[in-house]
Formats: sequence, structure tokens, C-alpha cells
Amino acid sequence: MKDLLNDIGKKMPYSESQEYLDSLIDRATEQAVKRHAVAGGKRRWGVMAASAAAVALLLVSIGFSVMNNESQRPAVTLQTQSPIDEFLGSLTDEEVAQLPYIEIEEIPEY
Amino acid sequence: MTDDSALQEMLHDPVRRDQGFRVLMKQYGQALYWHIRRIVVGHDDAEDVMQETCIRVLNGIASFKGDGPLATWLYRVATNEALQHLRRQTHLFQSIDSLNGTLTAKLQAESSLDGNEAAMLFQQALLALPTQQRIAFNLRYYDELSYEEIARITGKSVNTLKTNYHYATQKVKSYITEHLTR
Repeated sequence: MKDLLNDIGKKMPYSESQEYLDSLIDRATEQAVKRHAVAGGKRRWGVMAASAAAVALLLVSIGFSVMNNESQRPAVTLQTQSPIDEFLGSLTDEEVAQLPYIEIEEIPEY
Repeated sequence: MTDDSALQEMLHDPVRRDQGFRVLMKQYGQALYWHIRRIVVGHDDAEDVMQETCIRVLNGIASFKGDGPLATWLYRVATNEALQHLRRQTHLFQSIDSLNGTLTAKLQAESSLDGNEAAMLFQQALLALPTQQRIAFNLRYYDELSYEEIARITGKSVNTLKTNYHYATQKVKSYITEHLTR
């Protein structure tokens, strides 16, 4: 086997010239550099777009949350008791029973 | 020849990365091309895989931790790309070993070994090997790498590779003997 391999040597069965190989490798190298730069640019744009989208989403969600809180806040009710209510509220049950009772029909019409 | 540590320093510096990559390819490009060509055989296939390998290397260089020589990492990327290329030529559930016939036809069509019967038989014998055995044989025989280096490239153990190489040699020998006497 060794003799046979020595006879054959390590010669490849292909005939690419040195110039062809140099040019192929240069081409492949420059193409890779170009594509890497383009991909890097796209990546940067992607990151910026994603960041912008995230910020916009955050702002929208903050807006919604503020609006939600506003709508859930109990409405301020300005309830003031009238002097009649105050008076009636201060009466005991017995005092209320002694109040003159007026039938609806007895209310004079004007 | 730029040494590994200087190259790695360049490749990990975003400002000098492209320059470092050009130096890297000047240094290892040809070895990688022949390694790829021996796996995929076809000239056009080898060009495509070489291009893909360059892109992979440049994209992945930032993640290379330097836990081994650059050369073995490059060979690993090239090997994976070449195997991926072969896999794309197979049908569903078909092994890449079944492509040996196609690869032999490409070898015969593109070979420049006119009249050198022994050399042609040797190449055909290599293509008759299972792909993993053929890769191990090529890396040892043509690239003269150590078993430890081949182990880093292929992910196989040194003992497995030694056995692979032994069996590959036996198979190549018997293939040539069988066909040469016909």
C-alpha cells in the first residue's frame, strides 16, 4: 500500500491553476466581507426598529394604563345634605311620628 | 505567516476584523478549498461550499473562543458546510453515503488524471468509503493532520479515528488490488 501511495503521491486529480485558486479565494473573501457588512447594517436597522417598536409599545401601554386608572377612579360626588334632610335625620322615631301627616290629595293645587 | 494569537486579536477587534479575515483566508484558503473539493468532488460544488464557508467563518468568528487552533475550527466549519451541501443532494431519509456513485461520476468527468490508472483507482477507492471514513482519511493522508486535530474537527474520539483510518486503508488497498488486476 505504501509503495502504491508513494507512486500516486498526493497529487489531486484536478487541474485548478494557482491563479484560479488565488482569484477564487479573493472573490469568496470579498463577497463574504460585503455580505457581512450588509447583514451588519440590516442587523443594526433591525435592532433600531425593534427598539423603536418597543418604546412605542411601552408608551402606548403607559397611555392605556393611565386612561384605565382615570376611568376606574371613583367619581367625586358633591353630595350636600339639604337643611330639611338634616332636620329629618336629627329626629327620633317618636318625633317623626308626631309630625303632621299631609295626604297627597290635601296638597293644594296652584 | 501571521501567528494564531495575532490573527485572533485582529479577528476579535471589530475595526480590524475584515483585515484579519483577509489574512486568514490568504493563509488557509487553499487548504480549505482542497479539503472541500475532496468531500464534494464537483468543481462548481466546491466553489459554492467555499463561498458559504467564508461567510460562515466571518459571521461566526466573534463566537470563536480560541479554545483550539484557528485551523481546526476553520476545517470544522468547512467540513460541516461540505456535508450540508451533500445532504441537500440526497432525498428524504437517504444517507450521504449513497451519493458515492454520483461523486464518482463527477470525478470521472472532471478528472485530469488521464492515463494514470492507479491514481484514478485510488480516487475511486476513496469515494467508495463511507463519508466519515473518507473525511478522516483525507485529513490524515492529504492534510497530514494529527489524530488529535482530526478529532477536534470531526468530533470523533482519537481511537475511533485510528480505527477508521486503519479500515479505510485496508478498504482502499483491497479496492485497488481488486480493480487493478481486472
